[in-house]
Amino acid sequence: MLGAMIPASSIEKEDPRIPCGQESGMQVRKADVLVIGSGGAGVMAAVEAERAGASVIIVSKEPLGYGDTRISLGVMSVSPDPAIGDSEEAFVEDMIRGGDHLNDPGLVRVLVRGAMDAAINFEGFGHIFSRDDNGVLKRLELPPGGHRASRAILSPGVGISMGHAIRSAAARARSLVLEETLCSELLVCDGEVVGAQALQIATGEPIALLAKCTIVAAGGAGALYYPHTDCMPAVVGDSFSLGLAAGAELVDMEQVQFIPFGITHPPAMLGAPCGEPAMAGPFGRLLNNKGAVVLENIMPMTRAQVARIIVEEIRKGGATPHGGLLLDQRPNLENPNGQFFVTLLKKMGGPFLDIVRTAYGEKAANLEEPWDVLPSSHYNMGGLKTDEWCRTCVPALYACGQAQGGVMGGNRLGSTSLTEIFVFGKRAGRTAAGEAKGRRLAEEGVARQAIEKLKSLRGSRGASRPIVLKRALQRLMWEKVGPLRDGPGIEDALQGIQSIRGKAKDLCTSAVKPCNAELTDAIELTHMLAAAEATTISALERRESRGAHVRSDFPARDDENPVQNMVVQMRGSQCRVRRVEAGR
Amino acid sequence: MNIRISIKRFNPETDAQPQWAEYEVPARERMTVLETLMYLYENTDPTLAFRFGCRFHKCGLCAVEVNGRPRMACFTEVRDGMRIGPLGRMPVLRDLVIDRAGFFKGLRELELFIPEQKELSEPALIRQAEAHAKLLLCLECLSCNATCPEDGFLGKSLAGPYAFVKLAQLHFDPRNRIDRQGQARDLGLDKCLKCRKCYCVNGIDIQRQAIGVLAGD
Repeated sequence: MLGAMIPASSIEKEDPRIPCGQESGMQVRKADVLVIGSGGAGVMAAVEAERAGASVIIVSKEPLGYGDTRISLGVMSVSPDPAIGDSEEAFVEDMIRGGDHLNDPGLVRVLVRGAMDAAINFEGFGHIFSRDDNGVLKRLELPPGGHRASRAILSPGVGISMGHAIRSAAARARSLVLEETLCSELLVCDGEVVGAQALQIATGEPIALLAKCTIVAAGGAGALYYPHTDCMPAVVGDSFSLGLAAGAELVDMEQVQFIPFGITHPPAMLGAPCGEPAMAGPFGRLLNNKGAVVLENIMPMTRAQVARIIVEEIRKGGATPHGGLLLDQRPNLENPNGQFFVTLLKKMGGPFLDIVRTAYGEKAANLEEPWDVLPSSHYNMGGLKTDEWCRTCVPALYACGQAQGGVMGGNRLGSTSLTEIFVFGKRAGRTAAGEAKGRRLAEEGVARQAIEKLKSLRGSRGASRPIVLKRALQRLMWEKVGPLRDGPGIEDALQGIQSIRGKAKDLCTSAVKPCNAELTDAIELTHMLAAAEATTISALERRESRGAHVRSDFPARDDENPVQNMVVQMRGSQCRVRRVEAGR
Repeated sequence: MNIRISIKRFNPETDAQPQWAEYEVPARERMTVLETLMYLYENTDPTLAFRFGCRFHKCGLCAVEVNGRPRMACFTEVRDGMRIGPLGRMPVLRDLVIDRAGFFKGLRELELFIPEQKELSEPALIRQAEAHAKLLLCLECLSCNATCPEDGFLGKSLAGPYAFVKLAQLHFDPRNRIDRQGQARDLGLDKCLKCRKCYCVNGIDIQRQAIGVLAGD
């Protein structure tokens, strides 16, 4: 029953403490805390910063809430249930074993301890996770791969219903929301971050955002491998590039997760997700173009292990005409012990099977004929290196969500990224709001150079279109720094990146002001080059196969030496990688 | 083989009115409207403006009008002679890009959210109506508003079928404390009771699941 009905009142809609200045021809907005990104992590950070008393600006490249959270499968880990013999320690162990010991154990513990609180907090945004008939939060019957116990809950409307909750929570908060506004760089003054420079896509006008503290929550870089990705195309590494250029460190950028089963055709659907190893069931198998069995017993394997075997077989010439291998589910139908799986798949695997049906037809979706699969980039385990309170090594700069590194190590277990965004989003918001109290806003002049740089992008008459360079870089990353790598290929990639960077200095862009996609492409190209270089030099430096990083020239994990993290930082204008013993 | 299509172009800086322009693209296997637009931007016309997101009918960003009906560009196969325009009845920023800013502002103005919840240590006991979960599949693509014939809704920041879907979502939410049926009446729900013209690309029966519910049927 509903409580007392009250009419919608005219509350104060937006925080009056955020002044709007257009001094000396510049558009400027100022707040205590600036949040870059508006998926689950960004909005959680903004809401928490505001609860802690800060004025907040949220800047979002897409309309608010249109990040990877919106297209997720809505499966989220919550705290372990002692009633089924699970414990926090077991959860921590599973994540670190799954992550091949690259995880920062402190961050993993924070995630595990905060998991239930994060789900409760997110329900407070207006979301409802699946319940049983008594209204009690319900856990999935089968845990996602790598979890020894059932910790995952499900969003009944998968990602899209979470998108509604995220937009509602941002509307309820009083933050100034700048949609379709793209950050080109962080503003840095005396080694401290003082805000960001951005471009408003609708008008083509620059806007400077000054803040006492800045939170980067703009997601990962899945679309660095476009079209071989199931991520939003806007997720090209803005987080990593913005942080890196401001002096922050990136950790284990070579760790890029490819889900093994992506769609190969028609071309419009290349990269669409159609399952992880568990989707193969107990008897599913992979076949090559000659019908020979390449892999069986897929279900207990990690995403990285299966992706590796698929790409190795393709390199040996086993690819189908569509460029993948065949996932053959018929043995699950034929084996009496496979029936329970088929039933479960039809009940739980709806979103995956819908994709299979659209791409390959009804027979494939009914598991009656094999279908083509190829790995697809899904998630960056690496990212901005932070402490347990989301601080980077740069004063006044924080990171949370997929932007952040160290939580997932070398391989992310299914269902943990939604936990990550809410746990660390909350922490980042609290920390930034608290630390903003001791800081001052920078002078507006600090943005002048960045604004000039943005203005010079439009209508330039150089040799290369930004979209052409973007596509070249994405092809290069897929071919040379994808699910299976080797030293010479990675070095080719580095050279290719430098060559594209050279061409990016001489861009040709249209002069239209409103909704000029070439300006977005030009800014994204800068971010992509930085993220690609950080990924590539880390991949070259890690001379072993560990987690999602697989090298054919170093096929084994190095168990002789201590486990090491790859840490990237700018030294002058050079991107440098160094090894740091893990867990330190 | 080539496919010929028309696109409704508009640049507010230079054009008084939108104009149809014709294009040709080489066909490929089961080519979609979105692929066609991307091909044109990447190869033919750097100034073509359109929005898109996930490519797989999950995010709601790429709705356009195809031959006068709203469609998701990502999941609509292109055909020779197709006419592609921006969603109807909405302000256009440029070409196929409509102005969506009002839709976030509208969430604030109509308080389309639940109140702040007390800090709980355990997840609340909640029963979610199936009708509520179904309404949450709304992609917010705005096709419903684009097919709404009611002129009286134009100009109001957030009236029309999309607002009614949002109000119905909240009407079902056990944590809601605002009279959503009353809000809907104030926005002119009466005009919608027998109309049935609004169209949902994601299969929500807006007439029954939102308008009927808000009208108290």
